[in-house]
Amino acid sequence: MGVKIDLKKQYSETNLGRKKSVKKSFVLDVSFEMENELVVLFGPSGSGKTTLFKCISGITDLDEGKIIVGNKVYFDKEKKINLSIQKRNLGYVFQNYTLFPHMNVRKNIECGLKGWEKEAKEKRVLEMLSLLHIEELENRYPSQLSGGQKQRVALARALAPKPEILLLDEPFSALDLEIRTRLAEKIKDLQSKIGIPVLFITHNLEEAFQLADKILVLYEGKAQQFGTPEEILYHPENLHVAELVGISNIFDDAYVKECDEESKSTVLKSESLSLRVKTQRFKPGDKVSWGIHPENITLLLPDSNSENQNENTYSVRINNIINKGPKKRITLTLVRCGKILTADVPAQFVDSLKLHAGDICLAKLEMTKVVAFHKS
Amino acid sequence: MLDKVWFPLSLTLWIATISSILVLFSGVVIAYIFARRDFRGRELAELLVTLPLILPPTVIGYLLVILVGRNGFLGNLIYNFFGTGIMFTWQAAVIAAYTVSLPLMVRAAQAAIEAVDRELEYAAYILGRSEIETALLITLPLAKRGILAGLVLSFARAVGEFGATLMLAGNIPGKTNTMSISIYSAFQAGNDELAQTLVIILIFISLLAISLTGRFIGKLEV
Repeated sequence: MGVKIDLKKQYSETNLGRKKSVKKSFVLDVSFEMENELVVLFGPSGSGKTTLFKCISGITDLDEGKIIVGNKVYFDKEKKINLSIQKRNLGYVFQNYTLFPHMNVRKNIECGLKGWEKEAKEKRVLEMLSLLHIEELENRYPSQLSGGQKQRVALARALAPKPEILLLDEPFSALDLEIRTRLAEKIKDLQSKIGIPVLFITHNLEEAFQLADKILVLYEGKAQQFGTPEEILYHPENLHVAELVGISNIFDDAYVKECDEESKSTVLKSESLSLRVKTQRFKPGDKVSWGIHPENITLLLPDSNSENQNENTYSVRINNIINKGPKKRITLTLVRCGKILTADVPAQFVDSLKLHAGDICLAKLEMTKVVAFHKS
Repeated sequence: MLDKVWFPLSLTLWIATISSILVLFSGVVIAYIFARRDFRGRELAELLVTLPLILPPTVIGYLLVILVGRNGFLGNLIYNFFGTGIMFTWQAAVIAAYTVSLPLMVRAAQAAIEAVDRELEYAAYILGRSEIETALLITLPLAKRGILAGLVLSFARAVGEFGATLMLAGNIPGKTNTMSISIYSAFQAGNDELAQTLVIILIFISLLAISLTGRFIGKLEV
């Protein structure tokens, strides 16, 4: 039961229905395949995530491409197949839940059980209520539910007709942080229970990493990278992906000096800096960008290690320290070449080392944590 | 006296009721199409439906006479089918009332339907419901207040209809003398007592309609 999506669609970011005030138009260009797993669509707003869902569900027509879910062809331009929304048999939870306000929870769930026998219908509703632990909400109306409860009802409604794929559009965006984390666990659990492919939209990085089996990164309509969370985080394929996963220290002045087959690593030269990266994607002479996530920079006191003895360890001067609660954001200047790095370091660590602005210390850029990609 | 009040009152309520039923069904369908479908000539169609709201009643009456009179397109069809004309009957008064009250219904219902979140409809489609099922289960129930407000306004407008009715159905005592027309004749004949009674009844009906509409529109936000 795989899902195959390969599509193109012209879309615009501010398409407001009747009076079309089109601001900027993009081409949604996405192609990926998935199994019964949870794939997170990750990207900034306007990157086409919701448009992709509307194409998969049939709300929006496609320009070209194919959408196949299991053994059902939803859309195939060449074969002129375009299943109606009603026949696609998918579950879709909209960002604002779209519960029918004039129906109670039971009626909302029953709405998707058209043509079921009365007994089977009742049984299915109860199954869904217990699956999501909302038995006590059966007779309530949407206006009497909290955000998290609405979320669960929307999920129950979407799953009741036994869909072949589940689409979740930022289902947690309106919820408190605590409920978010709990529901995210629930979603993961649910996915393994129901065993269908789940696509999940978010622009929240932590949520993406908490949930995803795989992540599809979208930027301005184009799929930038598709891979496991680790691949996305440590091997971003381009600048957009690197920036989206929070890597803020990015330099585009490096080239590949040496490819080390033995240790499966690559040595980069960035101005006077020599840097080892755990990757084999490049050939000597390639022009590359490199970067590191602020949280992956380790600070050491200068007396314990010297710069020359350790790879990827450099003398830095602390420019300033900003308090960000449990973490401190430190701006550093690499003594050797004047490059500026930002590091997020646990506050406790900064305090115990008694670091202050103007101090010289060492910064270690762990080679498995340094990312590098072809210069765009 | 009682007879002179009772007949126009019952005739008027009968005409307004029949007209309102027709307006309810056709108006909601038209409103739904205007609100949810994009087709060529929609703006023209919207204009045509709304036109009776601003045209002088005599102009509407004149146009209707051309349409349903013995030599008119519709009138001719009716004559050939039923063997009798429709002019100067209560049915003609229904046609007049329908024409002038339809735009009130369409405008109120269209606004109410447009206010229903389209994503609710898509959610129902995704749950396997057809467009008609979705309209009946989701859209129209959620637009209920606006539709009811439109219905009350249409009814009130039909009750008060004068100009087009006079031209189409005439003023035949015991046959087509509706309330508004009876007021006019009573006033012309110097029968102040009858005119006043009818005026008070009409004012009462209108007040009732306005207060009902106010309640419906007030609850529209719910």
